[in-house]
Amino acid sequence: MAVSRKPPVGTSGVLGWLKTNLFSSVVNSIISVVVGVFAIWVIFGLINWVLFSAHWMQIWVNLQLLAVYRYPGDLLWRPLTVVAMIMFVLGVSTGVARHNENGGEIIRGVFWSFSGLVFLLTLIALFNWQAVRWLWVMVSGVTLVGYGLGTAFPALNKTLAWLWGAALLLGVVLLSGFTEQGPLEVVSTRDWGGFMLTLILSAVGIVVSFPLGIALALGRRSKLPAIKYFCIAFIEIVRGAPLISWLFIASLMVPLILNISPDRLPALMRALVAITLFSSAYMAENVRGGLQAVPKGQSEAARALGLSGWQTTRLIVLPQALKAVIPAIVGQAIGLFKDTSLVFIVGLLDFFDIGRRVIPNQEASLQVTGGIVLEVSLFMAVVYFFFAYRMSVASRQLEKQLGVGER
Amino acid sequence: MASHQSHSSSERIPFYRNVKMIGIIAQIIFAILVLVAIIIIYLNVSSALSRSNLPADFSFLDDRAGIPIAETPIRYTTNDPYWKALFIGFLNTLKVALIGVVLASLLGIVVGVMRLSTNWLLRQIANVYIELIRNTPLAVQIIFWFTAVLTTVPPNITNPIVLPGRIYLSNRGLALPWLYTGTSFRAWIPWLIVAVIALIIIAYIRQRQIIKSDRPGNPWTYALLSAVLIAGTGFFVASSNTRLAENTTSDFRADRGRGSVYIDANQNNQLDNNEKIVPYALTIVTVEDGTLTTTSQNLTESRRVVNGTFRFPLIEKSEIDVENTTVEFVDPDQAEGLAIHHTNFPSIGLIYKDQNGDGTYNRGEEINPETGRGYSGIQLIMTVKNFERRIVADRDGQIRIPRFDPIQQATTSSSAPAANPNNLFGSPTNSSSDAEEAELEASIALLPSRPLVLSTPSLPISNYEGGVRLTTSYLALLLALVVYTASFIAEIVRGGIQAVSKGQTEAAKALGLSGYQTFTLIVFPQALRIILPPMISQYLNLTKNSSLGPLAGYGELFAISVIVANQTGASVPVIVMLIVAYLLISLTFAFVLNIVNDRMAIVGR
Repeated sequence: MAVSRKPPVGTSGVLGWLKTNLFSSVVNSIISVVVGVFAIWVIFGLINWVLFSAHWMQIWVNLQLLAVYRYPGDLLWRPLTVVAMIMFVLGVSTGVARHNENGGEIIRGVFWSFSGLVFLLTLIALFNWQAVRWLWVMVSGVTLVGYGLGTAFPALNKTLAWLWGAALLLGVVLLSGFTEQGPLEVVSTRDWGGFMLTLILSAVGIVVSFPLGIALALGRRSKLPAIKYFCIAFIEIVRGAPLISWLFIASLMVPLILNISPDRLPALMRALVAITLFSSAYMAENVRGGLQAVPKGQSEAARALGLSGWQTTRLIVLPQALKAVIPAIVGQAIGLFKDTSLVFIVGLLDFFDIGRRVIPNQEASLQVTGGIVLEVSLFMAVVYFFFAYRMSVASRQLEKQLGVGER
Repeated sequence: MASHQSHSSSERIPFYRNVKMIGIIAQIIFAILVLVAIIIIYLNVSSALSRSNLPADFSFLDDRAGIPIAETPIRYTTNDPYWKALFIGFLNTLKVALIGVVLASLLGIVVGVMRLSTNWLLRQIANVYIELIRNTPLAVQIIFWFTAVLTTVPPNITNPIVLPGRIYLSNRGLALPWLYTGTSFRAWIPWLIVAVIALIIIAYIRQRQIIKSDRPGNPWTYALLSAVLIAGTGFFVASSNTRLAENTTSDFRADRGRGSVYIDANQNNQLDNNEKIVPYALTIVTVEDGTLTTTSQNLTESRRVVNGTFRFPLIEKSEIDVENTTVEFVDPDQAEGLAIHHTNFPSIGLIYKDQNGDGTYNRGEEINPETGRGYSGIQLIMTVKNFERRIVADRDGQIRIPRFDPIQQATTSSSAPAANPNNLFGSPTNSSSDAEEAELEASIALLPSRPLVLSTPSLPISNYEGGVRLTTSYLALLLALVVYTASFIAEIVRGGIQAVSKGQTEAAKALGLSGYQTFTLIVFPQALRIILPPMISQYLNLTKNSSLGPLAGYGELFAISVIVANQTGASVPVIVMLIVAYLLISLTFAFVLNIVNDRMAIVGR
């Protein structure tokens, strides 16, 4: 006896989608309605607050403070030139990557979101920021020129590493200036701050900790007990205590260790010492993971080919190991970028600290009923989120790409 | 080949090309370098320390700290030494970390499961939550919760949100009822010990029975049942013959609104230095008639201005004779045309002018049209009849109630606030007022209590008293840590659940298990094996991240260490202690992780 059954529920179209994703069962339907109403209520409340109730004025007028803190106003061309240089090299890298087999999808994504930000800021600058109007136009222009150059001359590929190195080095020199009498006026690191400082701390931290971390990882895998146990002790002790305590320790101990008066050592240096050492311990663990992932056959084959131990490590093991842990390193860079917010403990005024202490305590801010901490903390969260999320998207894409490549 | 080998072994390799020798030499050189570095550091540090005359040993630990700490799990005063302050920091770290770990696990599991839900909306919400939280610094989140939310959004302490069960929420934090050990707790202890022993023995026996019988069963059911039974019986036995210790008395004085409960050993009715205070004593305080005065004001609360509001110390309706309790203007001339509107009788309300003449308060009437602000500076007096409050003394034996004044006859309005005998010595000698000084008729009853006594919070003056109090700092740090760590745990949980092979779910479905059963009995136990190790390292991260306490003003280990180091200049000893403490915590976690890994590893093979 054939029982007639209802036709299967359609899963295509808008209704089908709704049925499978939101109303597949009674319980699901109830959840969807309740949560949906709640979500809409929250989103509307948030939009309403952001557009009508919040006081954004104090953040708007303090953007320069948040960006560069006390960096002299007439020298603003220097940080902006550094931004231009970095965007230029990033553009060249992206342009060059277009000629790769996979089209450099990941770096393209990074480049366009950052240049999108640059263009947006340029637009704002054109209408609102008299002093830096043309500088921002310059930054935008240089970004596009870099991209064009990279696309036109794929041969630049070989010089990329040099370009990056030069840009970073020149960047540091430009920001600090040369000598007292030199062509560029010296800007003391005491005047550095804001988002500029946040970026410097994270960039220097991750770049310097990279070789240190590799050395520590290799040391930890060394067959020589003295080196091995030193590296293990260093890594485990550093990882055992939180970064904020290392920053605090560095701020107290570095002057003592160098036996110089605390005033002679800028807070920036102390923070960098702590951040770099801390980051290198974590980097070492990441690299070690990569080293463990390289099959033993690789180094054995290298030895069979007559490569020396150092050559085997440098040419065979490390490249494979590092490639495998790029996502983890990007993850660490995100972590470090977020953790730079802790440098308030050594008295540096980074982006976070200016948002936390300086702006809410300004006289104009104090006039606002209830204060503007909510606005400031949301603004800071959005800015941090933009950069961290962009990196984490890139890291996820990388992970996918590397995973596919392996199989 | 063989000839080559024999050839090389016969001819000795020069030591500088011998791998073994190179290794040894390299190690020696490395060790010497490290040693030299350590010696240089040591010399530099010690010379720097002696030059700047900073303490380099641990003797400062016994000095008086004088650091006020808002939250102290154990008794602490500013007279206590540094080591105690640091120890309290350590306890506070544990306090926020342990509770944070539990809550973060719960939230993380919920969000992780939400991410795998078949419901698109839930999945997206979980996604947004994870991405938003993971990609913003914890420091920003702490500031958000502490400064932007918990200290600004809830109302002021004078007007707390009262949740059912006498839970108070205000910008000073959350106060909850809490159980403390009562006077007969000692009599209960033997019962508890017996209960625990019974629990273990019965569980052990049941376990063996279950294994022998080869039937499913839970060894803990009967064990727990009997343990609860024994403890329960003990509770009632202990409460039936509970009594106060001999000479228990109180120096409570209603005109000061405070006092302590102590054992008056020498019976001189005075709390002497060597006399023991009685913590968590159950008391009932009654004040037959009394008055409280306050002044109306305009204030900022919950990010907005509240106009013309008055706040007496919070008194619940159940504590007073509502019919005969009144709130009036002290000076009717000053309050010409004004009326009182209670938002929470009798303590909190607004002062308004009935502009449309309908006899009741309408929104906007509390604002003076001339000034645009509320009617501030207007004095009010509350006359309370039959105030009675059940108070459990705090751990220092202290009890506090609102500071009532006696009802004054024929006094002028101006002398009413001055009649507060709360001056330096608190003696009720108020000679300035020539009116008859009425005595405040108040009494305190000390009651014996059960082994556990429920302490409900109250608001005697401007801070919580009784119950358990979670400060805004603690709540903010806890909230930030939980929300932040949960976003990482959620991803771990999701990964762990996805790693369980689909065949397991399908097999469970084929056996007729429901979706819930499949998840709790088949998928989750297997996922747990993958989840636990990374989860424990997240627990460690949470504990280490609690060092961001200074951002919320929470006195945990790091915050207190910084204060101690700055105060004493003993940076090196403090740093050593700080590192050792954190390493201890990390090692404990590593130890637990190892045990878990051993237990969790798939048995067999």
